[in-house]
Amino acid sequence: MVAEILRRVPDISVHVVPARSGPIDLPRPSRAPQSLPPLRSFANAFGYSILGLAAGLAVRQGLGISNVTLVMLVAVLTSAVTLGLWPSLFACLVSALAYNFFFLPPLYTFTIADPENVITLLVFFLVAVIASNLTARVRTQAVVARDRAATTEDLYLFARKLAGGISLDDLLWATVYQVAHMLKVQVVLLLPEGENLEVRAGYPPEDTLDQGDLAAARWALDQGSAAGRGSDTLPGARRLFLPMRTGRGIVAIIGLHSNREGPLLTPDQRRLLDSLTDQAALAIERLQLAREMDKARVATETEKLRSALFTSISHDLRTPLASILGSVTSLKQYGDKIDAADQDALLATIQDEAERLNHFIANLLDMTRLESGALAPRMDAVDVTDIMGSVLRRTAKLLAGHRIVLALDDDLPLVRVDPVLFEQVMFNLLDNAAKYTPQGSEVTVRGRHEGNMVRISVEDEGEGLPEMDRERVFDKFYRVMAADRKRAGTGLGLSIARGFMEAMGGSIIATNREGRKGAIFILAIPVAK
Amino acid sequence: MNSSRILVVDDEPPIRRFLRTGLTAQAYRVEEAASGEEALEFLQRNPVDLVVLDLGLPGIDGLEVLRRLREGGAATPIVILSSRDDEAGKVRALDLGADDYVSKPFGMEELSARIRAALRHQLQQQGERPVFRSGDLSVDLVRRLVTVRGQEVKLTPREYELLRLLVTHAGKVLTHRHILKEIWGGESDVQYLRIYIRTLRQKLEADPEQPQLILTEQGVGYRLKPAEN
Repeated sequence: MVAEILRRVPDISVHVVPARSGPIDLPRPSRAPQSLPPLRSFANAFGYSILGLAAGLAVRQGLGISNVTLVMLVAVLTSAVTLGLWPSLFACLVSALAYNFFFLPPLYTFTIADPENVITLLVFFLVAVIASNLTARVRTQAVVARDRAATTEDLYLFARKLAGGISLDDLLWATVYQVAHMLKVQVVLLLPEGENLEVRAGYPPEDTLDQGDLAAARWALDQGSAAGRGSDTLPGARRLFLPMRTGRGIVAIIGLHSNREGPLLTPDQRRLLDSLTDQAALAIERLQLAREMDKARVATETEKLRSALFTSISHDLRTPLASILGSVTSLKQYGDKIDAADQDALLATIQDEAERLNHFIANLLDMTRLESGALAPRMDAVDVTDIMGSVLRRTAKLLAGHRIVLALDDDLPLVRVDPVLFEQVMFNLLDNAAKYTPQGSEVTVRGRHEGNMVRISVEDEGEGLPEMDRERVFDKFYRVMAADRKRAGTGLGLSIARGFMEAMGGSIIATNREGRKGAIFILAIPVAK
Repeated sequence: MNSSRILVVDDEPPIRRFLRTGLTAQAYRVEEAASGEEALEFLQRNPVDLVVLDLGLPGIDGLEVLRRLREGGAATPIVILSSRDDEAGKVRALDLGADDYVSKPFGMEELSARIRAALRHQLQQQGERPVFRSGDLSVDLVRRLVTVRGQEVKLTPREYELLRLLVTHAGKVLTHRHILKEIWGGESDVQYLRIYIRTLRQKLEADPEQPQLILTEQGVGYRLKPAEN
């Protein structure tokens, strides 16, 4: 059937995957054949034997033949300790032959005259072999212990790295590096992203996988078992893919590859890989959970903000309406019982509150205009002094309790703005000052020519702005001390001011006055050419 | 008789202004406080007959003022000013012992009616009147006799208890929870209450679809139309 498919569609690769047949486990790679130590070890062993022989020749004169064997055994044991089993066996052989050659009569031949000496030589050889075997085993154990200690140390450091507050990318990188480093393989790490599997880290760095590898990785994710090279599923893939799982499921897929021939991992390496990936999987899960929690928290914050905003708008719309409706119904119902002065006061309330409502609605509309992008400034060369005159007339009532100081330089050039928008900006700034500074305090408007800009500042004597609020005051519906609903602000004025200034090619920033209490709003507007 | 002294607590000057003018025109004596702190301090030294209390006060809010007053043992009737969409605030205020509420924006007549009901209830509690009349309805609390347009109406004992509760608090809003506790004596389903109210309306109202006697306060509770004086 595969052949039929291939015949019909030649440009695809077809992977035949057996339906799940019994537990698919990674075939345990057979123990790698123990490679012989390098030639240099044998040369060294030979050297030790010669040294032993020399020492033997030296002691023969003083101590007699029986001690020669002991001295030469030292050479064999030295080989066993420093070089391992095979070189030390080689040293046994060399020493035995040398012993025969130099010490057993007839001297300087490999023949042995006395049968007793045959026994001596055999015993020497046996002792040497047994001793070197034992010693070499001790050495191997020492080496294994050292390796194990190093592995444990590596694992410990890795665990510590994972436990620290690191980002997901750093974590993935640390994992692939650690696995590649400890197992001497090439590693990729894939994370499920929605429907897809994406390569998130690789050592050496790797961005994409070919189709065959992707299919194997996909299989490893879907079936939760090994796939690819050396496994039962898609063994044709270049890499071996293993799922990394926690109690909650599979968090990642790790892909291994090596240019070496033969099985990818020894059982020891496989165990090591398991402990590395188990740790990494837990750490990945922890980070992902933390990220989900963050998301949930942001959503809650947004929800809170939205509800605060809604409360704010409904309060701002309802309060003037309540005053108007209350005043009108009082007049209607009990007008005949209210004296003329009180009737006037009620009418004044109605007018003031209607204006306040109008102001708020105008702000909302301005905001909508800004946000919908429907704002088209009509730029003109305008005299700032002229605009300030009309702004001050409009704000006279708002600022009745404040002292206004107008300090515009005499030689201010004309500026290029939309006069209507700019007037609204100045109105909003003064309105803001009136609301947030105490009665009787001073509000100063300065104007200065600086290069090709005119700099206008509005300075007040209020509490100033908390450091963190200096940018946020321009946020929509943001109010300093927003919890304190005493301020009748809409939280829109400054936001609109900034929107308008930017639409006109100018800028506005907020900061605090130097050397004294109070906020300062600084506008920069281009001079008309 | 209308020389009751009323304390108005609201942070918005225009609202205090029209309340003062409107209530003064009805011969109430009006005091003002702009914050919860001010109100509590004033009430410590000056007895008043009723408090009109805004829930959305800066600093100590209206609910907290209410709680402190009731914890301090003050039985002064309290009428709450609240936002229309703040059902939870209304219910909490009523549970904390407020007598009634009006939602902003409100007409002067509406507030006046609530104030009158709260003041009258204060008097009624001191001497319950035996026969209650409102519209076509008449309830004789001594003889346990209910008539509509002169015709006797048969009520089950529980229906009668419910009506009696509404009658003794006529004009005042009663929260679902309060009614459930009084009649069913504990945590019962509001659903029960809705069914009993519907039956009562069918027996008492001229048009049960558009009730004139037992009025629904959406999300809060029920109110019986007060007796005419």
